[in-house]
Amino acid sequence: MAESHSKHILSIMVDNEPGVLARVVGLFSGRGYNIESLSVSEVDSDKFLSRVTVVTSGTKNIIDQIKAQVRKLIPVHNLIDITELKSFIGKELILMKLDIKQKTVLEVHKHIKNIGAKILFEDKTTIIIEFSGTPTEISGLIKKMKVYNIVELTRSGLVSMALGKDYIRR
Amino acid sequence: MMKKLSGARIVIEALIQENVKVIFGYPGGAVLPIYDELFKQNKIRHILVRHEQAAVHAAEGYARSTGKVGVVLVTSGPGATNTVTGLTDAMMDSVPVVCISGQVPTHMIGNDAFQEADIVGITRPCTKHNYLVKEISKLAESIHSAFHIAKNGRPGPVLVDIPKDIQTFETKYGGKKHTKSFTFYKPNTKPSRDTIVEFVNLLDKSKKPIFYVGGGVINSGSRASLYLKKLLKITGFPCTQTLMGLGATPTSDDQFIGMLGMHGTYEANLSMNKSDLMICIGARFDDRITGKVSGFSPNSKKVHLDIDASSFNKSVNVDLLIQGDLSKILEMTLKYIENKKISFSKEKISAWWIQINKWRAKNCLSYKNSRSVIKPQYALQRLDFLTRHLDPFITTEVGQHQMWAAQFLTFNKPKHWMTSGGLGTMGYGLPAAMGVQIAHPKDLVIDVAGEASILMNIQEMSTIKQYRLPVKIFILNNRYMGMVRQWQELLHGNRLSESYMDSLPDFVKLAESFGATGLRVNKPGEMDDLIKEMIKIKGPVICDVVVDPKENCFPMIPSGSTHDQMLLGPNDKLEGEISEEGMVLV
Ligand SMILES: Cc1ncc(C[n+]2csc(CCOP(=O)(O)OP(=O)(O)O)c2C)c(N)n1
Ligand SMILES: [Mg+2]
Repeated sequence: MAESHSKHILSIMVDNEPGVLARVVGLFSGRGYNIESLSVSEVDSDKFLSRVTVVTSGTKNIIDQIKAQVRKLIPVHNLIDITELKSFIGKELILMKLDIKQKTVLEVHKHIKNIGAKILFEDKTTIIIEFSGTPTEISGLIKKMKVYNIVELTRSGLVSMALGKDYIRR
Repeated sequence: MMKKLSGARIVIEALIQENVKVIFGYPGGAVLPIYDELFKQNKIRHILVRHEQAAVHAAEGYARSTGKVGVVLVTSGPGATNTVTGLTDAMMDSVPVVCISGQVPTHMIGNDAFQEADIVGITRPCTKHNYLVKEISKLAESIHSAFHIAKNGRPGPVLVDIPKDIQTFETKYGGKKHTKSFTFYKPNTKPSRDTIVEFVNLLDKSKKPIFYVGGGVINSGSRASLYLKKLLKITGFPCTQTLMGLGATPTSDDQFIGMLGMHGTYEANLSMNKSDLMICIGARFDDRITGKVSGFSPNSKKVHLDIDASSFNKSVNVDLLIQGDLSKILEMTLKYIENKKISFSKEKISAWWIQINKWRAKNCLSYKNSRSVIKPQYALQRLDFLTRHLDPFITTEVGQHQMWAAQFLTFNKPKHWMTSGGLGTMGYGLPAAMGVQIAHPKDLVIDVAGEASILMNIQEMSTIKQYRLPVKIFILNNRYMGMVRQWQELLHGNRLSESYMDSLPDFVKLAESFGATGLRVNKPGEMDDLIKEMIKIKGPVICDVVVDPKENCFPMIPSGSTHDQMLLGPNDKLEGEISEEGMVLV
């Protein structure tokens, strides 16, 4: 009986202290859980709190186990499974550098405009664009831009928030 | 005016505030300031071990036999890395330990300085939590938090790494009360009432119930044991205990049907398999307990009582979870039963008891005794018979002797049985016995050992000598890593690869060289005299009990099998081959 795997977005509020990310990440690798995406940054500089967003996947049992294990970490204040809330948004930021030697600049510009991406930097040979969107939109963008020569790209990892009154408490 | 104290002094003062009486340790460059402060005071006793691993096991023995936090002090680098096995052991068996390690000075961290090891990084997965103290202002807070975390919720080891410069810096320390907010860690200990109602309903309905009791009951404290005893009495249900749970309620009780699991009794494992209600209290459905999970107690409703939410549904799905401190859960349960005047009909479970007694009649722990050679089981039965009135504290090493000790000894009080369950650490028993003896100087403390395991921390004989600890070491000497040999016989075509213990020391002379008494016995007829003499001797004793080299430990559930596929004795053959799935299991 193969149990179904599903994707979960976990939002974790932690003390912003040295080693805290290693604790979270080490827990995932040590116990063989999957990390599809990870993003972390301080969100409250008065209380020294960071917010970690982990996208993971697994059976219901595994997801429950992940949540219970993460909650056991001492610097973890709170964890919510955003995917389990009524509705939420999830966004990612991508920066992409294109080699535009071969193509006409005009064509590239038009394309970027259609997609809704922003140009951050441009010179004779390269162009850096910024785009934020859902993971599907990001993947779509990458696919479309493949016709140009993508020389490098970087993604921020997903950040996410529930809609309405659901929010992570400190 | 509060006076300024050095970091090293604050360490000592904070330990005193935490009511620490004993620490187990070993000095070195990076902790010299703390050792200097130790020298200047007389409230804390320092026990100098001979290897840092032993310091942790000794602290574990101390903690498990008292319910207090065990404390360890070691130097940086090799001193700290030597504690890793002990810390992992304490983590697996939920033992409250605080380990203080020295570290190179803060400005040298990361430089590969002499005796630098990233011990906080190394021990992150094997401690409940750890701290690297980078500022003197955080020192007191870190130590008090460490104690708080080690003993609250599910207990575990906490390491505090203190760079040498922090030990010499000065700051004010106003005691624990005035140490500003340490950790917010506050595990939920109070169960919800609804779950208690549901729990009692299940108890009331069951015709084939079984209590499956683990070490969590012992960790929760003596009240938990008392309440459980009462609940057992009210319900009349059968009770089995895990290796960690032995003694949670008296094992001489008639409702106790033996330990369960890989080397558990026939009646305990079959009762688990055929029950309609399993009440797991402070245990964690470990793979040594469940055997093949898909065939584990297929028809029972399962209730799980535990302080640790991550133990729920980890390997086995249960029907009712109750999270909280076990003594609170059990107390609320008893109160509810009393208030609702629920009485449990013994009739409803009489057919179940008839069945269990039939299984019991198999006498699964019986063995073929001999007049010429000492059977290890016989040695332990005699040890039990001749020491039971003294309520001895028992520690063990790891192997067959450990399983036989679990099967054949009686545990009528909690906190009297210290064995390495989760990690299975050979070399645990001797240092653990030291820790127990330090905490209970007047009591009989016995390490039931194997001749292979005992050599893993044999250097501690020197510690035993120094502190005049009358620890008794009862070696079941079969000249084999018996448990390894047993698996090789069963699973690897009897190819005894590297499991014979060649070139063993003469344990009698070894004892003497450490200033202890050495006794040896070869014949079953002399067993009783040896044990009596061992008890009589005031100091430490090593008993070299020369036993049958080929005896195996039964019953046994081969890995990858289910509770009803037990091997009961040497003539019981495996049904077919062990599955590939089973072969790869440990
Ligand atoms: C530190 C460590 N290394 C290896 C093992 C694997 N192991 C488990 S039992 C055992 C043999 C123990 O032999 P002995 O102490 O003589 O006990 P016996 O089984 O003979 O009673 C070994 C090697 C272990 N548990 N711990
Ligand atoms: Mg042996």
